[in-house]
Amino acid sequence: MTLHQLNNHLNPAPEALPASPALRVDGLKAYYQTRWFGITREVRAVDDITLRIEHDEIYGIAGESSSGKSSLIKTIAGAIRPPLNVVGGTVNFDFGTRKVDLYTLKPEERTAIRWKHLAYIMQGSMSVLNPLRRVRQSFIDFAFRHMGMPMPAFLKAVEDHLLRLHLQPGVLDSYPHELSGGMRQRVVIALATVCRPGFIIADEPTTALDVVVQKSVLTMIREVQREMRASILFVTHDMAVHANLTDRLGIMYAGRLVEEGRTRDLFRNPRHPYTLHLIRSLPRIGDAEPRQGLEGTPPNLADPPPGCRFHPRCPIAMDVCRVMVPPMQALGGGHRVACHAVTEGTVQ
Amino acid sequence: MSGADTALLDVRGVSRSFWTGGLLSRRRIDAVKDVSFTLTDARPEIFTIIGESGSGKSTLARMILNGMNPTSGSIAFGGEELTTIRKTRDRMRFMSRVQPIFQNPFESFNPLSKVDRYLTMTARNFTEARSRAETDDASDRALRKVGLSLAEVKDRFPHELSGGQLQRIAIARALIPGPRLIVADEPVSMVDASLRVAIVNLFKDLRDELKVSIIYITHDLATAYYISDRIIIMRKGEVVESGDARAVLDNPQHPYSILLKDSVLSPDVPDDDEPKTIERDRAARSH
Repeated sequence: MTLHQLNNHLNPAPEALPASPALRVDGLKAYYQTRWFGITREVRAVDDITLRIEHDEIYGIAGESSSGKSSLIKTIAGAIRPPLNVVGGTVNFDFGTRKVDLYTLKPEERTAIRWKHLAYIMQGSMSVLNPLRRVRQSFIDFAFRHMGMPMPAFLKAVEDHLLRLHLQPGVLDSYPHELSGGMRQRVVIALATVCRPGFIIADEPTTALDVVVQKSVLTMIREVQREMRASILFVTHDMAVHANLTDRLGIMYAGRLVEEGRTRDLFRNPRHPYTLHLIRSLPRIGDAEPRQGLEGTPPNLADPPPGCRFHPRCPIAMDVCRVMVPPMQALGGGHRVACHAVTEGTVQ
Repeated sequence: MSGADTALLDVRGVSRSFWTGGLLSRRRIDAVKDVSFTLTDARPEIFTIIGESGSGKSTLARMILNGMNPTSGSIAFGGEELTTIRKTRDRMRFMSRVQPIFQNPFESFNPLSKVDRYLTMTARNFTEARSRAETDDASDRALRKVGLSLAEVKDRFPHELSGGQLQRIAIARALIPGPRLIVADEPVSMVDASLRVAIVNLFKDLRDELKVSIIYITHDLATAYYISDRIIIMRKGEVVESGDARAVLDNPQHPYSILLKDSVLSPDVPDDDEPKTIERDRAARSH
């Protein structure tokens, strides 16, 4: 065990945030803004989000569809296009060798960072790889430019990388349709990590896969992260995946972060009623006790409810929840929650 | 109608194979191989078919819905062989008693027509309702069974509703003809985890209150354990294990069932000194 690993083992989650986390997001607001016939419409998909992601950790984001998860990671990856605009806040990366403020960069500088420092594993491996090009050609298209080495050396590096990920270099000669869904997803992960980026964003990479394949893909992501000591931002609505993969977890509801903490703390001691519901409602093998679904529907982000956005569905909503937005409150141990009931001590 | 002691659905030694490839490279794919099971009329149940992608579970479902004939074996619904159902009137009668629910609610609705149109059309085709008031009444009654109402969905397009709502509407639509059997092909795999329980609870209510039998096709073992009465586990077209759902999943015997159960990620976080499931797996492999 190296000294670094020992240190990590002894201090799994430092109390005070170190000076320079891998990703610093402060007060980030990104809205979909449309203007048709003089009527302005604003959908607040990412509303005032502040979070830190440390070096060498897997940070999970959970939430239902239309909670703004995908908008958040698009904004963090700098892959936004109108009508999605950044309205306020900053996104700062620390890649070790260089620090960048994503939204002060010129577009060409942003392009240069992508793949080399910041990789993005997308949902639906089916639609990511070009069906008309062999996998080898996709590697050349995406990564050759960023690796800065002659072609033979580049191809050698790609093959070495595949072998490290327990993939046969033979897949390079295949077309995407010749590979199974799980294999394609593994190729996409290899493609995203071939430049050894310091920061990886993964958007529901295992959602479309069945259980056996899902487990092997998750194991691969964990191995890649361990080997490269990269930071991963992992987005999925599947709480079982979070329980097994992530180090820290943030829960999003209607464009806001409602709770954040170490995954273990969050699962053992969820404080926000929404988190509590997400964890309690999971059916598991060996336990057939009736569980309750969550009533109601996620709010329309073009016209979100005032106060706490969860109050129309919250079983313990109070008067204050209907008028005042709950502030994020630290509970110690890096555990933060935005809920009036917790702040006022009406729930334990 | 069949008597109380007859089978609602009788699947006997059903196989289905497909031919692929060109003239010289013809290859036979056995999608379903010799599958048999019976659902009884007297006791409605949730019968689960589990398997990975490509295990033939959707092909089996399509044959039960009479959308495809088996290569060999036979399927009878209420004592009537599905292959003998040929006339339009017989087909309509069969369809009113066996209804499907599909995987992706966003794909099963036409994005250009309003969702209540599906309910109206089903009511007009399969029930006595003819006038607008009658079809609206039939739609509303079905929607109330799934916790919605016609006022909530009327004149709405699919994109205006959430996946969970659309899936409930799909279930409501299936309920309008008053079916005896619902074939649900991966009904919750595209639905958020928080809504999943609400949908599977709904299946339980359908079984207990409306006495509808449900064939629930899934790869999610946790919800299967939660709602099923009986279960079959399929692999490459063959049934590898079958029986009482809880008994099979608590103590699987076939190596494939054991692999499936071991691959399910536990939603419990391990203790601090215990490695997480996927790391335990990796450690075992490296030894």
